[in-house]
Amino acid sequence: MGPGIITGFAGNDAGGVTTYTAAGARFGFALLWLLLIASLSLVIVQEMCARMGAVTGKGLSDLIRERFGVRWTIVAMLALFIANASNVVAEYAGIAASLGLVGVPPWASVPVAGIVVWALIVFASYRVVERALFALILAFIAYPVSIAILQPDWSEVGRGFLPTMANDPAVLVMALALVGTTVTPYLLFYLQASVVDKGIDRESFASARLDAILGATLAGLFAFFILVVSGTVLFPAGVPAQTAAQAAQALRPLAGEAAGLLFGVGLLAASLLGLTVMPLSTSYAICEAFGWESGISHDFRDAPVFMGLVTFLLAAGGAIVLLVPKEQLLPLIVVSQAVNGLLLPIVLVFIMRLASDPSVMGSDANGRVRGTLGWGIAGLTGSLSIAYLVASALGIG
Amino acid sequence: MPYLSEIQNRKILGPGGDEVAKLADVAVVPTGQFPPVQWAVLATRAGEHAIRWSDLVSETGHYRVLVPLDQVLEAGLPDDALRLGRDLMDKQIVDTHGAKVVRVNDLQLEEAGGQLRLVGADVGLRGLLRRVGAERLAEGIAGVVGRKLPRGIIPWHLVQPIDTGNAANVRLTVPHAKLALLHPADIADIVEDMSADERRAVFEQLDVETAAETLAEIEPEMQVEIVGDLDEERAADILEEMAPDEAADLLQDLPEEQREELVELMEKEEGEDVEELLSHSENSAGGIMTTDFVALPRELTAAAGINRLRELKPDPELAYYLYVIDAEGRLDGVVSLRDLVVASPDELLAQIMDPHILKVEVDTPKEDVASLIAKYDLLAVPVVDAGQKLLGIVTVDDVVELMLPRGWKKRSLRSIAR
Repeated sequence: MGPGIITGFAGNDAGGVTTYTAAGARFGFALLWLLLIASLSLVIVQEMCARMGAVTGKGLSDLIRERFGVRWTIVAMLALFIANASNVVAEYAGIAASLGLVGVPPWASVPVAGIVVWALIVFASYRVVERALFALILAFIAYPVSIAILQPDWSEVGRGFLPTMANDPAVLVMALALVGTTVTPYLLFYLQASVVDKGIDRESFASARLDAILGATLAGLFAFFILVVSGTVLFPAGVPAQTAAQAAQALRPLAGEAAGLLFGVGLLAASLLGLTVMPLSTSYAICEAFGWESGISHDFRDAPVFMGLVTFLLAAGGAIVLLVPKEQLLPLIVVSQAVNGLLLPIVLVFIMRLASDPSVMGSDANGRVRGTLGWGIAGLTGSLSIAYLVASALGIG
Repeated sequence: MPYLSEIQNRKILGPGGDEVAKLADVAVVPTGQFPPVQWAVLATRAGEHAIRWSDLVSETGHYRVLVPLDQVLEAGLPDDALRLGRDLMDKQIVDTHGAKVVRVNDLQLEEAGGQLRLVGADVGLRGLLRRVGAERLAEGIAGVVGRKLPRGIIPWHLVQPIDTGNAANVRLTVPHAKLALLHPADIADIVEDMSADERRAVFEQLDVETAAETLAEIEPEMQVEIVGDLDEERAADILEEMAPDEAADLLQDLPEEQREELVELMEKEEGEDVEELLSHSENSAGGIMTTDFVALPRELTAAAGINRLRELKPDPELAYYLYVIDAEGRLDGVVSLRDLVVASPDELLAQIMDPHILKVEVDTPKEDVASLIAKYDLLAVPVVDAGQKLLGIVTVDDVVELMLPRGWKKRSLRSIAR
């Protein structure tokens, strides 16, 4: 498996599954067109990041720092930090919600998960855990299988691809969350770092490009399945997907009584995996940009900023989740993904500036077609963010 | 003592006192210890304009050109010129002192001998704060709590840019000659932070011996990448120089085709050793042993044994135990260096050796080998086949990782993204 396919999978983390389920439950198939645009955007942007990694041999935060200097780097890293911190919150909420299905209260599950993950990062081998969790995430295969059983009305589904905006103030948040969870800023940094790490260069780029495109397509397809299942089962029944138990109902036609268990296992694994990767990749990107020592170490003095950031993210994220009442956990996840959507345009502008710059990319810089597409995406997500900000300023959202 | 970030964007006034341009960048030719600033790149409405630094007069807070700008000779920058702002600022640099990769936050310039010279790279927090205009503020805050902001400046003569062919890709590092003076374990730490291209450059330029020692210190997955990137001849040379067991471990992880090709390219003797090691399971004594050991025939006298050692010049860690074998290569006993030296010269090894020797079979699980070595405080244990023929030894170095608690070795974060 290449980095693209892995990141494609990792994209369907707690935030993804929850947001797609909630979007289907609330709006049926009505936002499918937006999901299509978001998925295509992911394909295009992910390819750019993989290409940047291969051509320059540098990570995204590396390039931002070298091209735009300290001030802009602070802007980009602040955006990434806030987006990823909200993802950490989402992962904790996913853990609390899934373990809540078997009656574990958040005040027990959240601190334990935080401490276990911290210890795991510091003392154990990350990769063993990664494999085990990946296996559990396969529980989400239940969604494409459900499609076969449900036999949704495909003409209904097809109509969802016609761009419409529901006359509902909540649609803007949902739209933002849908885009933010599909094209997560974190994924773009992570993918480019993996490409650089694997030492993929121009010569070996063809397969890496395919991998990046395939991974993004896979992620989009999975999102489609989840949204359609949720839109078929939950939307007509008027189940709002506010709690994990309600969200799990989407899998009832397939799994019956075991739906809760199936959904819970998948959500827990996805959340735990996200909770392990997110603080690490955040600290890595930030330390890389500012030239601070990075790497996991038992000794805080070796890499104080790096270990401090990891610890802070894990501690603060958990604390925030504990402040939220139990029945607000899944809505909190959707909001966290909307934060990602809100900040995405900032990251996209950096990516576009870099990937279109011949002095960085040489002959592999974006041409007219990719440039137009990329700026189109940045413009679209930007206007979505602005629309949301304006709406909430006017008190509509 | 100006910093680049302080003079960048300063106004350039014309002879009449009107602003004609802003200082965009300065350039040096990176030769000598502290290269002088020779050019100024001005940002004018018509675009960038390079002039000689000596055409500028420094005044408080700005610079002045004494003749109208359109009469100042346009100075083309030579190919080897470095623009400090574009090519050096914000780039990475290897700090050989702390053996880590840091980032250039600012560049320190100093007026010396009538010339402005590049004297250092600021890689500390101060430089970062200065760039966002918060150095004074932070200094004040630190002063209130009675602390001083630390300076983090690397003197320029310890730094040298390397060119990877693309102007936007100039990265800084100490010269490879200076890198080679570091301990291989430190070089390995630095190399692990580098990009694939730079890693290859380093391994092509280090001498074979240092390259081999460094490669042995690098984490296994990256070893494989490095060997895969290197030219085969060079890779084979480095592998020859490594201890056979380390070379075999590394080769084990390569695709079969590439492995065979490399073994083929290695010197016959080293290649055969490695092939032999590769035939054993990774988790057995045979898989972790090295074929580097000292074996002396039992009918040798002590004096002849010492002479043999003089010829062999074994590495220090291989010379503690001298194994005694019979004509068929079967392990008979062991002689310590001390025993050999204090024995009378004409005594036979068979007489002074200790015939009660701890040994393991080639298929003994490596964990068992580790506990044996730990239990008896051995420096090495010999490995024999079913017919008692001596095949190799496992040293304490080879099993020390098995004896440490899991995760003891500092892991690089990069391994998570793979």
